[in-house]
Amino acid sequence: MNTITSMKSLKELSERTKKDNQKYSKIVTLCAGTGCQASGCSSIITSLHEELKHKGLTEKIKIRTTGCHGFCEQGPLMVIEPENIFYSFVKPKDIPEIVSETLSKDKIIERLLYTDATSGKKITYERDISFYKSQNRTVLEQNKLIDPCNINDYIAQGGYSALVKVLTKMSPEEIIQEIKESGLRGRGGGGFPTGKKWEYCRNAEGSPKYVICNADEGDPGAYMDRSVLEGNPHAVIEGMLIGAFAIGAKHGYIYVRNEYPLAVKHSKIAIQQAEELGLLGKNIFGTNFSFDIKIVRGGGAFICGESTALMASLEGKVGEPRPKDIHTTDKGFNDLPSNLNNVETWANVPFIIKNGASWFASKGTAKSKGTKIFALTGQIKNTGLIEVPMGTSLRKIIYDIGGGSATGKRIKAVQTGGPSGGCLPEELFDLPVDFEALAEAGSMVGSGGMVVMDESTCMVDVAKYFLKFLLDESCGKCVPCRVGLSRMLEIIDDITKGKGTEEKMELLKETAETVSIASLCALGKTAPNPILSTIKYFQSEYEAHIKDKRCPAGVCRELIHYSIDEDKCTGCGSCLKACPHGAISGEKKKSYRIDDDQCEKCGICKEVCKFNAITIS
Amino acid sequence: MNEYVTLTINGSKVKTPQGTSVLDAALSYGICIPHLCHMPGISPIGACRLCIVEVVKNGKSKVTTSCTLEVEEGMVILAHTERILKARKNIAEMLVAEAPNSRAIQDIALRCGVKEVRYPFRNKDCVLCGRCVRICAETWQSKSLGFVGRGSERHVALPFDKRPEFCKQCNDCINVCPMTITPCPGPMKKGEEFFCGLCESQLSMAENIVDTCVDCRLGEGFNCLRAKNK
Ligand SMILES: Cc1cc2nc3c(=O)[nH]c(=O)nc-3n(C[C@H](O)[C@H](O)[C@H](O)COP(=O)(O)O)c2cc1C
Ligand code: SF4
Ligand code: SF4
Ligand code: SF4
Ligand code: SF4
Ligand code: FES
Ligand code: FES
Repeated sequence: MNTITSMKSLKELSERTKKDNQKYSKIVTLCAGTGCQASGCSSIITSLHEELKHKGLTEKIKIRTTGCHGFCEQGPLMVIEPENIFYSFVKPKDIPEIVSETLSKDKIIERLLYTDATSGKKITYERDISFYKSQNRTVLEQNKLIDPCNINDYIAQGGYSALVKVLTKMSPEEIIQEIKESGLRGRGGGGFPTGKKWEYCRNAEGSPKYVICNADEGDPGAYMDRSVLEGNPHAVIEGMLIGAFAIGAKHGYIYVRNEYPLAVKHSKIAIQQAEELGLLGKNIFGTNFSFDIKIVRGGGAFICGESTALMASLEGKVGEPRPKDIHTTDKGFNDLPSNLNNVETWANVPFIIKNGASWFASKGTAKSKGTKIFALTGQIKNTGLIEVPMGTSLRKIIYDIGGGSATGKRIKAVQTGGPSGGCLPEELFDLPVDFEALAEAGSMVGSGGMVVMDESTCMVDVAKYFLKFLLDESCGKCVPCRVGLSRMLEIIDDITKGKGTEEKMELLKETAETVSIASLCALGKTAPNPILSTIKYFQSEYEAHIKDKRCPAGVCRELIHYSIDEDKCTGCGSCLKACPHGAISGEKKKSYRIDDDQCEKCGICKEVCKFNAITIS
Repeated sequence: MNEYVTLTINGSKVKTPQGTSVLDAALSYGICIPHLCHMPGISPIGACRLCIVEVVKNGKSKVTTSCTLEVEEGMVILAHTERILKARKNIAEMLVAEAPNSRAIQDIALRCGVKEVRYPFRNKDCVLCGRCVRICAETWQSKSLGFVGRGSERHVALPFDKRPEFCKQCNDCINVCPMTITPCPGPMKKGEEFFCGLCESQLSMAENIVDTCVDCRLGEGFNCLRAKNK
């Protein structure tokens, strides 16, 4: 391959790829992201290749395997262009029909269409699906247009033109100014202004300097960074190149979570392809700017995503945070100036350079600009990865994109920001999702987790769950976090068992305050959020547990009792057989009873009873 | 040359060589900031969090540990605001509940104003202050001790749980450990722990003037830099 040395040669390559694509009458986009792989897309890809070969259609129809489209729950999914036909839950046995009907005769196969979760209607085109329609995608949008293992696809989408622009037309100071004006803030959790961080690092003394991409993503349920790195690695690489040029860095690292093999593979391929084209490595673009990127696999702990712990881990030390009285932009990796940004932050950079700071700043709120990717999960109809402008209301996300409650029960809360975010009640669903608004309400944007909960959820139990996660992930270095969180868990565990007291509740609050003020790193500082926010907004649930020894949602095992409604029980005896603890007694055809002392509250009897006779109180 | 910097701690002007930590600067001026994991001349780790202070900059204040914070010209430090005192007292309470069998920790809790311990005692024999680990690595260049495990499993260990050949047998790890001296009433058995508070008489002086060093003798218990240098 020839290296690219001018805007002209980049444009030529882009045009050539576009022309190549125009040769085909259809392009079949198949998602090959981790989510769709789990639901079996690999065999579909193979079958489609074989079927097209068999039918002699390989010249006419192109298969593009891409990264995640965000709607993984419908996977494996397929989009047929130019029509934009959307097929979900595709199976290998559907392939011959898809080829002979849709690809050859333009006939829609009803059964493979997506059914709108709210209206129950079949929807033919991807663009009409409400999950997608209500979003505003920039970074995620490219995923379905690009084969991540083919740099030409990225270039055909305008890729690397931002790099060429900065190398030929902009000074480092101008780039930093542009990023500052765009208002881009870190997508990894802290929301620190990116341009300002770059400037600190550029002005720091010491050489060489480093830029690092944080792809550690340890939050349970989060996969936005995985999807971006898997689906569009070149956007991250281009962002890092631009950052490195602006900062004056020579070397870069992508620190990837160990459990992300596909992201590692795709970034490796991408790095190699960029090097072959002369877009990465020595004397990039024929200039005297040189930059290389290495991939390092993470230490496997949540805490390794914290900036100082990540850098310690990169150095081969134990991944443990250190006090940040000296910033990592001054002394980071190997005690040298290091600029760490999140995957999504880096991926936004090329778009800002290409489209201008004001384009980016036109979306969002006064202090939170651009769009942000969220992982929407929980008890709602549509779950998946979404990208919306900052400032979009929680209500819009939950009801328009998420389609509202999946169970028919009232939605009562949303937990935002990952494990150390807060739980916000329904009354606050009109809040705009931006850094300040969520922080003021006691939660945070964080890395973008969003878990929607309906009435069947006990908020005390939820708080306990997150607290336990964070305690397990605490590195154990400092007292407030290691000891304080374990004390908080002790107290909240007692509450869920009906052993809570008002004095202990006060102690819980006081300990939470201490942990958030005094902990060494942000894990400890934010860990009390789930507790403090549930106390603030769901006080009555705590009171019910403490004063009435009652769990209103019927979740906390020590506080609930199973019994059999005599009127409904037909005496079938299924529960007796099913109960693994021998807690049920009675005679056939007569009514059965549950012995409270022997009942372990496993809920199996309730599942097997066909007459809905088992009740929880 | 600009070898000295001037800062204010609790309103007092303090002049100190560049490179000093705020904690050392405060102690040398007789301003008591309770501390446990810090040792003079040894690199700080910021683990116990007792030495937290507020740094005021551009009208905003940030909480950080004074042992890890280097002095800067014009710095404004508030070491004993209400918020700090409350959190510090709570940390001391946590510590004494973890390790009531340490004279040093009992003393610190008293100095921080703890009156009762509301957490059930755990009676551990190490509070992970890392004093032993660091004195071994830094003063003796031996690295015979290290932290192993994460979170609740974190503990201090010898390589392969055996005293290595490169151990200098200096016993400094024991000398600096806050756990080696039991509280005055003697070792406390499991289930019989209590908050000692016997030295309270000494403290009556300090109660109303928290920010002043009163050469409290308690300092000996926790290797207070000032008490040691006397
Ligand atoms: C416990 C903990 C875990 C973190 N994990 C991640 C992570 O997985 N990915 C990430 O980008 N940032 C993570 N962060 C935030 C980073 O410390 C850092 O702020 C971020 O990577 C900076 O990039 P940004 O400014 O682009 O957001 C974590 C922070 C903490 C305290
Ligand atoms: S706050 Fe928690 S995770 Fe952070 S350094 Fe302290 S113990 Fe470790
Ligand atoms: S809840 Fe479980 S243990 Fe209790 S009666 Fe039903 S099946 Fe038996
Ligand atoms: S053994 Fe003693 S000195 Fe070492 S960490 Fe534990 S308490 Fe500190
Ligand atoms: S001697 Fe006592 S009062 Fe003085 S600095 Fe040490 S601990 Fe504080
Ligand atoms: S992995 Fe296919 S849509 Fe997410
Ligand atoms: S003395 Fe500063 S954190 Fe322990």
